[in-house]
Amino acid sequence: MTWRPRARALWLVVALTAALAIATLVFALFEVQNGLVVAGLCLVALIASSLRSVHTQRQIELVSVVLVAVYVIAGPAAAVIVAAVASLIQAPAPKIKLIFNSAQRVLSAAGAAVAYAALDGPVGTEVFDRVPDALIATTAASIVLQMVNALLVSMVLILERGPGGVGEFFRHVVRTTAIPVLGYGLLGLSMAVVWLGGLNIFAGVLILGPLVLARWALSQYEAEKTAQAATMRAFIQVIETKDLYTRGHSERVSEGVGMLGRQLQLSDERQSALEHAGLLHDVGKVGVPTSIIRKPGRLDDAEMDAIRLHPARGVELIGNIPFLEEVKSAVLHHHEKYDGTGYPAGLAGKNIPYFARIIGIVDAFDCLTSTRSYRPAREVDETLAILVQDRYTHFDPELVDAFVQVIRAKGWKAAVDQPAPDGNVQANVDHDDLSLGSGGGASGSAAGPIA
Amino acid sequence: MNESSQSYQVRVSGSGVAIVLAAATLGLAALILTIERGLTGWSFAITFGVLIAVGEMVQFRVDRSRNRAPIATSAALGYAMLRGPEVGVPPDVAQVVAVVAIATIAGLVPRVVAGLRWEVVISARRVLSVAAATAAFSAVIPNDMEWDGTWSHALPLTAAMFLAVLTAGISDALVGAGQATEAFNRPFPAALRDELVVLARIGLGMGISGVLLASCTSLLGLWAPPLIIVPLLLTQFAFRRFASAQRTYRATVRSMARSTEIAGFSSPGQNARTAQLAIAIGNDLGLTPARMEALEYAALLSGVGQLALADPSPGGASLLRNREERQQAAEIGASIIERSGVLDHVAEIVRHSNDPYRQGRANNSDIPVESGIVNVALAYEQLVGEGGGQSAGKAMESIGLGIGAEYDPVVVESLRRVVGRGFRF
Repeated sequence: MTWRPRARALWLVVALTAALAIATLVFALFEVQNGLVVAGLCLVALIASSLRSVHTQRQIELVSVVLVAVYVIAGPAAAVIVAAVASLIQAPAPKIKLIFNSAQRVLSAAGAAVAYAALDGPVGTEVFDRVPDALIATTAASIVLQMVNALLVSMVLILERGPGGVGEFFRHVVRTTAIPVLGYGLLGLSMAVVWLGGLNIFAGVLILGPLVLARWALSQYEAEKTAQAATMRAFIQVIETKDLYTRGHSERVSEGVGMLGRQLQLSDERQSALEHAGLLHDVGKVGVPTSIIRKPGRLDDAEMDAIRLHPARGVELIGNIPFLEEVKSAVLHHHEKYDGTGYPAGLAGKNIPYFARIIGIVDAFDCLTSTRSYRPAREVDETLAILVQDRYTHFDPELVDAFVQVIRAKGWKAAVDQPAPDGNVQANVDHDDLSLGSGGGASGSAAGPIA
Repeated sequence: MNESSQSYQVRVSGSGVAIVLAAATLGLAALILTIERGLTGWSFAITFGVLIAVGEMVQFRVDRSRNRAPIATSAALGYAMLRGPEVGVPPDVAQVVAVVAIATIAGLVPRVVAGLRWEVVISARRVLSVAAATAAFSAVIPNDMEWDGTWSHALPLTAAMFLAVLTAGISDALVGAGQATEAFNRPFPAALRDELVVLARIGLGMGISGVLLASCTSLLGLWAPPLIIVPLLLTQFAFRRFASAQRTYRATVRSMARSTEIAGFSSPGQNARTAQLAIAIGNDLGLTPARMEALEYAALLSGVGQLALADPSPGGASLLRNREERQQAAEIGASIIERSGVLDHVAEIVRHSNDPYRQGRANNSDIPVESGIVNVALAYEQLVGEGGGQSAGKAMESIGLGIGAEYDPVVVESLRRVVGRGFRF
């Protein structure tokens, strides 16, 4: 299913949102008193919104913390103005996005302002005597701010990307930021307290310190993750230089298990663990002599044994990396078969670790859709049919069904830039290949005639 | 067990014993004084004591230096700088030290019982630096000065708090630098520079949190601590995730390095031993932490280029027969490492790690000294490590023959010092 963006409806919605935001802003401008304080708060908010970090996507919204302080220091109407001023600084984006973002922030702040006023949140120094009220009102304001924000963004996402985009947005953005925003909102309240306690605009400096530190930690986290992924990929590429035909195999498997994992709705943590496992499943090949991997023709038993060792070698190699235990068991068991005839342990059925069953499917799939020295690449549809036929013998049937569904829906980018099959080579050596009658591969319907 | 993290741990040292003794004495004296005078402001003492203890319990390790307990530090600093109107009688210096000392012990005991990492020296250092901060703050601000909502009070109070926080930070940096010098033989100025960099980054964050905690509590009473502590917990959570991603990354690089062993290109532990020596030399030369990290990775990964060579040379890297082969492997290794896109500096070190000094660094100052360190560490490891089995003296002698031609004289001098201090693989 593809979704065509509704460009005209999108513009209409954005224009309406902007008009509403401007009206709110004008109303707030008449309501607000004490211009000097508001100007100071605007300055703090501007600084906050200019402190953008490069790495993090899910950042703690510094501005929303400042807004919490504004409700308490200068009242709800001021917050609308501060939100509008803060939205003047935004990351570069298409004009429609900039307009919508500004409008959406003003309206979110306005919604929160209404909530704050409705709960009779304290404004000014009365906060010192009404701390519980302030706590309740600011928390409610934060929640409303997020809700209005989520609502407006979902509306646009539906028009732009279809209903699927909204689910993604809620899963990955709203759910992960809700608690941090509420937690850091408390810091906004303490900023208000220090501001009113006599420190005035310097309170802004005081509050931004810890927030910037938190952001720094988050961005470092993202940077480490990126570095980790890049380093593992580079490393895998080296190992794959041993065999021209398997180039890119691990990355494609990682991609494929990623698609399947999303279909199965794994948690974020397990999803990334699965992708790691997919990337690393053949890492133990580094311990298999290159002469065996590249050998044209059938392998003898000793050579086959050397190949069968690679899952264990892989676990030995990655054993010290603090991955989830599932990653290691997946690497160790990705050559088990559903009927119990695989290696190294001969596990059968659901005894094979979940991730290993997933990787086994994608591994075979990528092998069959790639060129080998002894045969050309197979078509995707043909390969999916082979997988379906081998349910129960090789693969977990439910997972095969899910995989077939996902590939049908999203397509598959098969290997490119491979050397042409070598006409002189008579038998294969790829241990992943289902079309192998015995030895490293499987026996089954895929063991068709070798072209 | 990973070698490098071990070598970064503060060993039981003379200064460590002195620090713990000083903190214990100070704490005991403060406790006796406090008991004599009687505790003021029970509720604040208990609340902040609990915060410090909890902060101590949930301490963690980041940037592989040592355990940190930012919440405990912020809470202790906050307690040290309380004033009116909400805090009737602010705690005096002795009471602050006593509360911090007892809370610290209370927080450490569960860690000891649970078998988690704990570092009494680090905790003792906190007691001492907070004592310094308290002394500085109360020297500047009289006991009866209150937050009354005016500029004229708020500004001096805040300025004094920053002064106190800086006092704590700088005194702890001095102690920390002294300890690094003692434990890793880093030059003192380099160690102090590193401590100050950490202070400016993490230390300031903890200090500002302490300032916020103190000012808000002075204004709001006990409503304030949750307002600061909840965000601090979130920040600490972010730091823990960062630290764990960092550990994963380091372990990944180490595993990559071990792949040459599994493939039969180098003997077991060879890369780790080379890295261990390279770190010792880097410490001796006082490299910055960022360069130390690159140096460690480069030493670990110096042999990775061999993976792309067709067949392993049995017995390890030493058997790459000639210089051309070794340089070729280094070049391949560098391009592999470069491909990751995040380790360019490491790649640069590896690329020149087999260049002889005379044709390399002697005439080209662009080549990093780290390359020379890796070169010497590789050579020494091959002579003394498991494959070689020579004595340290003999190995130094044969490396000394290559000084200026093969090896960087600065590095060889440093190696001589490192070995002279009894370095063992």
